[in-house]
Amino acid sequence: MATATTSKASRMGEEIWKTRVDKISAEVLTLTYGTLVAQLCRDLTLPNTASQTDYLAVNAELDRMGYAIGLRLIEDFLAKSQNTGHCSNFREVAEVISKVGFKMFLNVVPEVRGWQGPPAGEEGAGGPVAFSLVLEENPLAEFVELPDDGRAQDELWYSNVLCGVLRGALEMVQMQVEARFTSDVLRGHESTEMRVTLVRYLQDELPADDD
Amino acid sequence: MDSRAPSIAAIGVLGRHNNPLHISLFPSTTLDPATAQPVPQEHRDKLDYAFKLNSCLDIFEARMPSKSIGHDFGLLHALDERIAMYGWLLNTGVKLVIVVDMEGAPVKAGSAAATGLGLRGGDLTPAFQALQTAYIRLLRNPFYVPDEHDPKLAVDRKGSLQIMSPRFTKEVERIGKAWYPGIPAI
Repeated sequence: MATATTSKASRMGEEIWKTRVDKISAEVLTLTYGTLVAQLCRDLTLPNTASQTDYLAVNAELDRMGYAIGLRLIEDFLAKSQNTGHCSNFREVAEVISKVGFKMFLNVVPEVRGWQGPPAGEEGAGGPVAFSLVLEENPLAEFVELPDDGRAQDELWYSNVLCGVLRGALEMVQMQVEARFTSDVLRGHESTEMRVTLVRYLQDELPADDD
Repeated sequence: MDSRAPSIAAIGVLGRHNNPLHISLFPSTTLDPATAQPVPQEHRDKLDYAFKLNSCLDIFEARMPSKSIGHDFGLLHALDERIAMYGWLLNTGVKLVIVVDMEGAPVKAGSAAATGLGLRGGDLTPAFQALQTAYIRLLRNPFYVPDEHDPKLAVDRKGSLQIMSPRFTKEVERIGKAWYPGIPAI
């Protein structure tokens, strides 16, 4: 069943990418995002210092921005992927995020890995439910070299905006998640990886399970 | 003595205001008989090459008015039988200089230089192109601010204005080592 979802999702991702998405030059996106992060790094400094960047504050700010983007982006996402229907479980959510969501907005398909939690359909049973998204290619971080000040390599999550986007978007569809980066090639790790953990389904309006 | 082939002795990147942005030196090499790998032979003096690169600046200046199109300045000058300097001027005023040592490396089997003809005009083009690409990559890094490497514009001058990027340095290193006369692309 998982494989069926996978191929269906990737077909849909391709289809939407080809027919329904307005595209811009990747360089415009990369350079714009780069300027944004660099500017944040200049603006947010540690208390009582002039030029020491507070990278934790930069991470938080990027996440906050991403959250605001996610809240709006989800509407666009749902409009373009109309015939998806509801995801019946969190595993499907992961597939759709990777194969449709990332494909639609960034034209990359991160691999879903490190699945943790009860078997499909029984998420209510308790225990943490989480997965990792492994980005082979990260359009945001192309050309980037982190500043060589001895701290950026350990503290800055350059693409943290993506975490915020996921958090914001999923919250709008009644899923409270926690998303964070666990590794980044910019820091010298082997892969760029995000961990997404389901905190809970928000109660006010459970997605109807109709198929 | 064995016949020797040209190799790159030094690569210099000079800023718009003639400030040195980056200098890489490459020792001349000889073949290690045991492993048949190139090993360093003679060391090149940093200050010496800094002066040599500085000496190119006047030539750029002098030729600038007559140069209407193109950025390839070709041979800038030859210091002696071995050392010759070639230059490119980028549109932003950044100058790329490659110093070639005509006897810097052992002859590679089957390479064009084995005929002893020296360098042809376009021989350095791939190296300059690769260097320009490396410089463009550096500029696209959002954390690299060109103005901070400009003596007239830098706000807080903390010593050196040189390029510190490890990726750029590594790439220049690679270009300097990879080049040989007649290489199609680097």
